[in-house]
Amino acid sequence: MPEAPMAELGYKRNIKTDLLPTIWCPGCGIGTIMIQLAMVLDEMGLDETNTIIITGIGCTGRMGSYLNFESVYTLHGRTLPVAEAIKTVRPEMHVIVVAGDGDTASIGGNHLLHSIRRNAPVTVLCNNNEIYGLTGGQTGPTTPTGTKTLSSPAGNPNTPVNLQAIVRSSPHSLYAKTTVYHQLHMRNAMREAIEHDGFSLVDITSQCIENNGRRIGFASATEMLNFYRKTYKRASQDADHLEPFQLGILHPLQTDAAAASNGNGRSPELPPQPAAPLTSATDSPGEAGATEPPSPGGATEPASDDEKAQRRAESQRKAALMAQLPSELKLRVAKREITLDDALHESGAEQ
Amino acid sequence: MRKLTQGNEAVFRGALAAGASYYAGYPISPSTEILNVASGYTAEHPEFRFLQAEDEIASANAIIGASLAGAKSFTATSGPGFSLMQEAVGYAQKIGVPCVFVDVQRVGPATGMPTMPGQGDIMQARYGSTGDYTPIAFYPNGVEEAFRVTVDAFNAAEESRSPVVVFSDTFVAHLNEVVDLDDVAASVSVVPREAPPLGKHEKGKPRFFAGVLMYESGPNAGEPATADADEYLRQYYDAKHRHTEVANRYAHYEHGWNVDASVLVICYGIVSRVASPLSTDYALFRPIRIHPILGDELRAIAERYEQIVCIEANDGQYADMVELAIRREVMRVPLLGGRISLEAVRDGLQRVLNGGPSEPPVPEQPTERVAPSPLGIG
Repeated sequence: MPEAPMAELGYKRNIKTDLLPTIWCPGCGIGTIMIQLAMVLDEMGLDETNTIIITGIGCTGRMGSYLNFESVYTLHGRTLPVAEAIKTVRPEMHVIVVAGDGDTASIGGNHLLHSIRRNAPVTVLCNNNEIYGLTGGQTGPTTPTGTKTLSSPAGNPNTPVNLQAIVRSSPHSLYAKTTVYHQLHMRNAMREAIEHDGFSLVDITSQCIENNGRRIGFASATEMLNFYRKTYKRASQDADHLEPFQLGILHPLQTDAAAASNGNGRSPELPPQPAAPLTSATDSPGEAGATEPPSPGGATEPASDDEKAQRRAESQRKAALMAQLPSELKLRVAKREITLDDALHESGAEQ
Repeated sequence: MRKLTQGNEAVFRGALAAGASYYAGYPISPSTEILNVASGYTAEHPEFRFLQAEDEIASANAIIGASLAGAKSFTATSGPGFSLMQEAVGYAQKIGVPCVFVDVQRVGPATGMPTMPGQGDIMQARYGSTGDYTPIAFYPNGVEEAFRVTVDAFNAAEESRSPVVVFSDTFVAHLNEVVDLDDVAASVSVVPREAPPLGKHEKGKPRFFAGVLMYESGPNAGEPATADADEYLRQYYDAKHRHTEVANRYAHYEHGWNVDASVLVICYGIVSRVASPLSTDYALFRPIRIHPILGDELRAIAERYEQIVCIEANDGQYADMVELAIRREVMRVPLLGGRISLEAVRDGLQRVLNGGPSEPPVPEQPTERVAPSPLGIG
């Protein structure tokens, strides 16, 4: 690669211009994303020595071959395990994933959940064109309800995946929504995502004119971009949630301990764990460091919710009574052939 | 120090001795102790990286990423998990990434008999992923050998730039033997990583690690080669020749017991330990390198025997390969359903050597309910 001839276009250094033109269709949004990414990387001083690009399968996946970076073109959907491992082994490197919506939210959806859970410090740039483009235009995980595609000729009957909700299920993740039309906003979102020391995902709405746009009534890529211009509006700076067709960058909620839980955090009522790590890894859990399981009757409901507490108590009372029954009677109760009271009576158990 | 050590633990210690610094895995019987030991080790040695992944697909891809980043990496699983990893095995083959897959076999297919030993993944390791590739695989039959074989696997992975499989089974994994692994560790040699890790490449020449066929050099370097058979042949045979050459350096096997007997018994892994009380009556050929098959060695040794019987805890997977390699009939004693016992071996040998079928007599279903063994709960 020769030295970049034009200093003012330093970002071109980041692109293998000798491989142009790209394989992407005329009017595709991925090229825009690539140029914006190249600009952001140039602005941030990121280059082939400190940044690694991981891409998935599909049209978007080809981006790695055009960027002047070490790049891993993973299996379909497996960008995140590869990226997370690279970041773990080489924490000093910036690891940027570029993948389509199918790769990110469908075939790689489970990895997305868990990289978010582990707060893997990688950045995902999701080219969200709402379609499987490379295979000709099938419904993807983010295809809007009602959209007619090759695999949903009568309209997609399903609700699309909510990437914002998934990413925001962790209080540590950064989520940004932008579009290919809003290039300055896209660059800001990319930069803040790459700067974020934790999991970040930039959800970039982009146009696939050939295998989606034309089928749903757009005459050209320009029309699609104009549609983004008209429909997407910036959310307020302090928004903690983005409505549909809002652009914004949602930083992690780092307010207090409550914000560090998504509702599934550890309850303070559980018994304390041993302070030291478990040492004997080959021992069975019963031998070393095990804590007593909480007794079934010991759980207390929040006093504020009396109804729940009553239901729980009733259910536990029934379970205790069922436990006294012989198995044939239990089965009959479960099949609703007789009531629990009758069964207890029949078995002679005390009520 | 001589110490009672478990087979699974020996695999982990072998990986450490070979320079491994990254483990990713998902709990699955009977391989889980390797994950437990790895997590315990990383708690005290944070430079050793550990990931409990969300599934085996993630584990397999994570060790590929870690290896590209410069860490010697491995994962351990059992048959069902190994199935999930197969796409990644092919990917590692395609992009030439050294890494090690440990498959502690149980009885399949599917969830099967999770706590019972099997050897049903022999062919999965050979042909499990898509397309043609030439895997290297080893199978130890004891604790110390599990350690040595794991070191060999890491070394072979580095030399061949490919994923290498270490087989084990429920019994080898849970075998406890008194061994001095520190002593063994001091005697092994370790092959260092040759390729620079990601980001440490020759500046101006960034690499592109693609599962899709690309031109890696020449005037079209960096462009897709997805319709060029010649480029496919260049890359495929380059890898095949390299793998074969490396495998030849690890042509490990055992030829023993009563070598003057007239019947050669071929078995490997735990079956060879279970069958060893028959040592006075039979000769033994025990492949340690399972893939690629030890064709030359088998041909030379098989010539000396009138009859050949392959005893394995699957329905003749290795026997098929042996037959192809030596062009001779091989009798089979399949030990199925986890029943790997001396009695089953002896009965099977008697049956096939007297002209009987390889299929054992299958008892009628009992009419009375039998309480299930607690061992059978998986």
